[in-house]
Amino acid sequence: MRKFLTLLLAIGFFQTGHGAAEPTPEEAPAPPEQKGSVVRVNSTNQAYDFFRPWNKEAPFSRRGMGVLIDGGNILVTAELVANNDYIELERADSGEKATATVQVIDYEANLAILHSTDPKFLEGMQPLQITTDVKAGDEVEVLQLESNGTPVSTKALVTTVEVGRYALEDSGYLMFRMSCPLQFRENSFTLPIVKGKKLAAFLMRYDSRSQTIDAIAGPVIQHFLVESQHQPYRGFPRAGMGFSPTRDPQLRRYLKLQDTDGGVYINQVDQGGPAAKAGIQEGDVLVAIAHTQVDPDGNYLHPVYGKLSITHLTTTEAYSGQSLMMTVIRNGDRRQLRIELFRKPVEGYAIEPYTIGKPPRYYILGGLVFQELTRQYLREWGANWLKDAPQRLVYYDRFQSDLFPDGRKIIILTQILPTEDTVGYEQLNNLVVTKLNGRKLQNLEEFAEAAKNPMGGFHKIEFEEDPREIYLDAQQVQEDAAQLQKTYSIPELRHL
Amino acid sequence: MIPRVALVTFFFLVANAIAQIPKGVEIRKSLVRITTTSQEPDYKVPWNPGSMSVGVGAGFVIDGDRILTNAHVVSNASFIVVEKEDDPQHYPATVQFIGHDCDLAVLRVLDKSFFQNTRPLTTGGIPAIESPVSVYGYPIGGERLSVTRGIISRIDFQVYSHSGIDSHLAVQIDAAINPGNSGGPVMQDGKVVGVAFQGYSGDVAQNVGYMIPTPVIRRFLKDISNGRYDGYVDLSLTYFKLVNPAERRALGLPDNEQGVMVSSVSTAGCSYGVLQQGDVLLTIDNLPIASDGFVQLDGERVEMPEIVERKFKGDKVKLDILRDKKKQTVELQLTGNWPYLMQANHYDSPPRFVLFGGLVFQPLSKNFMDAYQVEDMRLRYHYNFFVTDEIYRTHPEVIVLSNILPDPVNAYLADLRFQIVDDINNKKIGTLEDMANAFAQKCDYYVIHFVGSARPAVLERSAVERARDRIIGNYNVQKEQFVEGGLLK
Repeated sequence: MRKFLTLLLAIGFFQTGHGAAEPTPEEAPAPPEQKGSVVRVNSTNQAYDFFRPWNKEAPFSRRGMGVLIDGGNILVTAELVANNDYIELERADSGEKATATVQVIDYEANLAILHSTDPKFLEGMQPLQITTDVKAGDEVEVLQLESNGTPVSTKALVTTVEVGRYALEDSGYLMFRMSCPLQFRENSFTLPIVKGKKLAAFLMRYDSRSQTIDAIAGPVIQHFLVESQHQPYRGFPRAGMGFSPTRDPQLRRYLKLQDTDGGVYINQVDQGGPAAKAGIQEGDVLVAIAHTQVDPDGNYLHPVYGKLSITHLTTTEAYSGQSLMMTVIRNGDRRQLRIELFRKPVEGYAIEPYTIGKPPRYYILGGLVFQELTRQYLREWGANWLKDAPQRLVYYDRFQSDLFPDGRKIIILTQILPTEDTVGYEQLNNLVVTKLNGRKLQNLEEFAEAAKNPMGGFHKIEFEEDPREIYLDAQQVQEDAAQLQKTYSIPELRHL
Repeated sequence: MIPRVALVTFFFLVANAIAQIPKGVEIRKSLVRITTTSQEPDYKVPWNPGSMSVGVGAGFVIDGDRILTNAHVVSNASFIVVEKEDDPQHYPATVQFIGHDCDLAVLRVLDKSFFQNTRPLTTGGIPAIESPVSVYGYPIGGERLSVTRGIISRIDFQVYSHSGIDSHLAVQIDAAINPGNSGGPVMQDGKVVGVAFQGYSGDVAQNVGYMIPTPVIRRFLKDISNGRYDGYVDLSLTYFKLVNPAERRALGLPDNEQGVMVSSVSTAGCSYGVLQQGDVLLTIDNLPIASDGFVQLDGERVEMPEIVERKFKGDKVKLDILRDKKKQTVELQLTGNWPYLMQANHYDSPPRFVLFGGLVFQPLSKNFMDAYQVEDMRLRYHYNFFVTDEIYRTHPEVIVLSNILPDPVNAYLADLRFQIVDDINNKKIGTLEDMANAFAQKCDYYVIHFVGSARPAVLERSAVERARDRIIGNYNVQKEQFVEGGLLK
């Protein structure tokens, strides 16, 4: 039950580790120009243990490749350096090493910029330019390094260009799918993919059975690099709405749509999101974005890629802070609505879809451990967390935008550290807390505030489910705190 | 603990079998062999009559020319035949009363001559642990009456697997009981001390069989004595043991190991409006309730609900409670609690459904979930938390778009399968009847909204009417709806 699955583990990614590989016919030594553009990146990462939120899991290392970009920085995937304690760069030619820090990281777009702590370390290397000129049918090259530092490139064919799922299940951006017979090498976690000496994509997943690559597409890299110049980094925007097709002729007639209208049915609008602020409502039919026609399946015609999901328009083609004109049909009338795009920060979700690079928040009161519900907590149940984790909590996570549109946090009693104060409560776990000492709770800060005001000498804790309420002796809790901390070796009884 | 799923009922499915007459066994004047032809409804094709099967179980003669057996021996029966040991004749029988919550049934035989030369059995008490018993029936392994012996291993509350949700007293015995023993008497000193009914399959546990003890049997027979089976009654509340000293002090309780706290009160049960969350239950029918929820009854420590287990619909129960630290006495008139039956196995009635435009709508139920094995998270939540989150208050029946018979009229609706209906043309849907009524209205469009943020399904009346005969013909639909019945009375 306590098996930890890292949030970012790519499915089927190089499961079979052959050591150094023999070159296959498709492989050829890379042109010398590219030799000086890539470095090895070794990252030692350590995730927090959400079942023991005051602890970290055992450290592990990931080895990938980074690309030197303009400005003397190194571009890698965010997965490679997620939850890092220590990042090391290694020159392919000389084997020299230097440490690096994360300058900008975007877990949703799965990209990060690293900065070398030794300014001279990258001297003599050549930065790679980014190209967005790749389409289905093009041939590209995947770069790898032999253990002796010799660069190797493998030809890959771009088969599909589409909006697909990135490392986190909620984020979808432009993705290149490629077919490619790739060999495992020890730095294979992140691999640059080039076309004509320019960076075209970043390998994100490789399925060795079907020999297919899912890659972060050039336009996404481009967007990330442009946005990284902005202070503060604002991330990839989202429109904050869900849509479904309008192919059904009965639906179209009911919505009074012309056959030429195209359009998608807006079935969900995030409270406080860009679409909501623009006045878009559930039931509207979105027919155009910035004068680009939307077809009944939610695609538009991209000049290079052909049919593409409109998600690409609002997340990648447009930047945070930018406005777009959306045309909707409501009750048969056309309306133009101006939508200002922005990203919803991960902290803005009721249940954080990911918690990376920061410790989980918790509050221990007399042996009762309280935490804000996060998806990372649910993932602690392992690969089958959707079925194995407490079903009410999984349901809350899955339908959080319907259930908790205001984004208030869900506080749960996660477990009991048995003490004399908790006699009779040992079996309680994973209960949703509604009130502490009579006060409704929006987040753990409010919980901490409410804990300062016990009622008649008791902490009264109320739950959404049975047993509905329990009590702790406030005086006793205070007196036993030091002993509790000692018994269970907890460095701090709270982290907010 | 052994998983509850492994519990199997001892009902023996066979092709055909002929009774033989064993000699020298006194029980032969009382034992009955029951052969049932049953039709199990198909929840995936709800208009079909379902698949037929034949099974053999046991029963025994009781006073008043009746036969007592397990409910599961005669559930979903379309034809029942009974035989007795010294008579080659087969007698058709019918179910007079059936209690699915306690897995007992009483049969009548149309031909009264069946009961000539039979000897009704009488019931005894709860046998002592380690005392020997004999089990009679027609288990697998031969055709004739079989007897096995064992001892009483344990007396405890158990889930009765026939309904899958009800827990009553059950007695564990180590005699070999097998499919075909179901409904047979378990005897001690010439009296019935139980009815063999369930056990674990051999790959889970050996020599673990269960019988329904006489308090449950007597309760059933008394319940039906007014000509109707009302079933078990319930306090319809949950409670929390008051063991924690701080909690006891906070609630104003002395340190006397007495009292449990009411955690929740079902709005569909008899405690609603009388008891409330936070009340401390001190006594039940003047018996002190210990802080762990047990009471002392007839020299035995039993869990508090056992007091109510022995009562009947309309009976009263008296409770001393502590509310806001003040003592009060309340009286409850006991009733059943219908919402939990949604999670119980159902028998003896065809699946309820409405078919419209090739869309099949069915109320969520245990049988539904077993048939469809749904993974949909919203649906699973509505099923698992129907009672605890009181979903029944807004959706007495959770109506699901369970199946789609593909046709041009519904060609673009496939992705809406397993959505839960919220309203039709902005009229809220709480029951299957609401659903049938909404479709009976003449409208140009039927706009079906679902719970959550799925898009609506839109059906044009003209298109549905054009598709109707085509769908009925193509899919051999026997009838387009069956709405009667349901849990909500």
